[in-house]
Amino acid sequence: MRFQNTPIRRKLMTMILGTSGVVLFLTCAAFIGYEFLTYRRTAIRELSTLGEIIATQSTGAVAFDNPHDATEILSALKAERHIVAACLYDKQGRLFSRYPADLPDGDLPLAPMPDGYRFIDGRLVGCTPLVQVKGSDRLGTLYLGSDMEAMYDRLRLYGGIAVLVIALSSTVAYALSRFFQRQISLPILALADTAKAVSDRRDYSVRATKHGTDELGLLTEAFNHMLAQIQEQNAVLEKRVRERTAELEAANDELEAFGSSAAHDLRTPLRAIKGFTDVLLDHRVGDLPPEAKRYVALIRDGSAQMSQLIEDLLSFSRLGRRELARQTLNVERLAREVLKELEGEYRGHRVQTRVAQLPDVDADPALVRVVFVNLLSNALKYSRTRDPAVVEVGVVQKSDEPSPVFFVRDNGVGFDMSNADKLFGVFQRLHLAHEFEGTGVGLATVRRIVERHGGRIWAEAAQDAGATFFFTLPKD
Amino acid sequence: MAFLTAIACGGKWWVVGRWWTVGLFVLCALRATAADSAAVAPPSAEYQVKAVFLFNFAQFAEWPARAFADARVPLVIGILGDDPFGAYLDELVKNEKIGERPLAVRRYREVKDIVGCHILFVSRSEAARFDRIIPVLKGQSILTISDADAFTRHGGMVRFVTDSGKIRLRINVEAAKACGLTISSKIIRPATIVTAGKD
Repeated sequence: MRFQNTPIRRKLMTMILGTSGVVLFLTCAAFIGYEFLTYRRTAIRELSTLGEIIATQSTGAVAFDNPHDATEILSALKAERHIVAACLYDKQGRLFSRYPADLPDGDLPLAPMPDGYRFIDGRLVGCTPLVQVKGSDRLGTLYLGSDMEAMYDRLRLYGGIAVLVIALSSTVAYALSRFFQRQISLPILALADTAKAVSDRRDYSVRATKHGTDELGLLTEAFNHMLAQIQEQNAVLEKRVRERTAELEAANDELEAFGSSAAHDLRTPLRAIKGFTDVLLDHRVGDLPPEAKRYVALIRDGSAQMSQLIEDLLSFSRLGRRELARQTLNVERLAREVLKELEGEYRGHRVQTRVAQLPDVDADPALVRVVFVNLLSNALKYSRTRDPAVVEVGVVQKSDEPSPVFFVRDNGVGFDMSNADKLFGVFQRLHLAHEFEGTGVGLATVRRIVERHGGRIWAEAAQDAGATFFFTLPKD
Repeated sequence: MAFLTAIACGGKWWVVGRWWTVGLFVLCALRATAADSAAVAPPSAEYQVKAVFLFNFAQFAEWPARAFADARVPLVIGILGDDPFGAYLDELVKNEKIGERPLAVRRYREVKDIVGCHILFVSRSEAARFDRIIPVLKGQSILTISDADAFTRHGGMVRFVTDSGKIRLRINVEAAKACGLTISSKIIRPATIVTAGKD
């Protein structure tokens, strides 16, 4: 797992432990390094001192050629177990006496080395001159060789101590870091939990616990404050939406009530107009001059048209109030039935009708029937100038629509796509009334039905090249 | 350098004298020859060691302050009687110093000639006269050394004894002390301490 993805708790502990561990390691390394260098110097000094002592004692034995005594003096070196070789050379540099007494020649330099002590091949070796009187010639030379075991012993000891110290300190650092990391991680974790709870449950009433007044405390406070603001704004918005909805509902109810009562009230005088013009044309047609007879006929047609308009308006406004009665509906059969019903409208024209295989939907049958009646009668109406007129009902599957897309296509006059947005508005008409009769309510009704089913309706057309109306009827 | 050294070598005055009229270059060249001739006939190995020992005594003994007029006065190694060392001893002490003090070798025929001497080797040739010689030297702070048998018995301070091919020391510490001399304990260790009247 990458470091930036590890939990903050572990990250903090890793940081604390890593830092303290590195610091500790470097300290120990520096200490041991310093000790190593110091010890080398000390070892040289100590061996030089020992050399001085032995050399001073040996002068007599060498000066008066007594190897036996010299060996005896050298044998005192056995008290210093790190001295592995020692010997005396006489004035001429000849080997005079050695320690240990049975040391092979190979372990000793053939001739004295330069005075002083130095590290060679892991050993501290060197020579001290034998001088009896300061300023006089040397009487001989003492060679001493010491192994580095003393130093290695010491370094091992220090290494052991360092490991112990690091182990102990790491344990303590671990315990301390566990304790201290809480100071930072707990508020952050609490904050993270709260944020998650808020986003998961969309519950803006929860609050993060504040652990102190540091930056994290401020952050927590700011976070809580933000939550409070969101909660408050939500409440305000909800209240406003409720108010607006209520207002709209009231206005809508009022409007619909007004509309239906107006329509009802308008129907009464219309019935009188229609009734009396009928009477006039049926029974008194002989009494009327031909001019008046034509006028009366126009009055009757006008009142019939108005009556139709009122009917349409009433049924449109009723759509808003009606509950949807969804049930499984065989769309194909419905489309065929509607086409059959509309046969009368195109008697005398050559019309080809095609209904594809259509899937069942879950919808209100009465309303879907209204949709097909409107769309098919429009198709027949606007294609009646064609010979033959072609009207087609089908279905396609579109990638951006989860439910099947039904369509009704004709090869009629079509319309200009720049006016497509006006198509589904109430009383919006794209053609002149004397060319194609209609009230301008049909497509508005269709759209309302489709939208009440949760679907979408749109049209594609071109001037004089037919029109296609697409719509969907999602399950719910 | 070689010339001056030759002058210092008392025993070779005749060499200098014979060639004195010759040019300095020839003289210098033959100084080497003279030194070689001294080396050609060295003393026996035994006396070479004894010569070295004599020289070493200069380092391992201390004289009272009155024994030297000042710090520059040489430490004199004297030989009484027949000289068994020849030029070897002279060569040995040449250029050597005990601290600041140079060394000199002198040869004496009679005990009365001895003045300002610090280490006196009494030759075996004098063995018959030890009883007369040693009392004369008493009180002069002279370290007396000999390789003759009865030397320490007669009150001499150091005697060289040959023991299975090795030369050992017999030291009469009391006699040395009586003359104000201090012999380093370091050579008393390898030596055998004797007292007067004993070997």
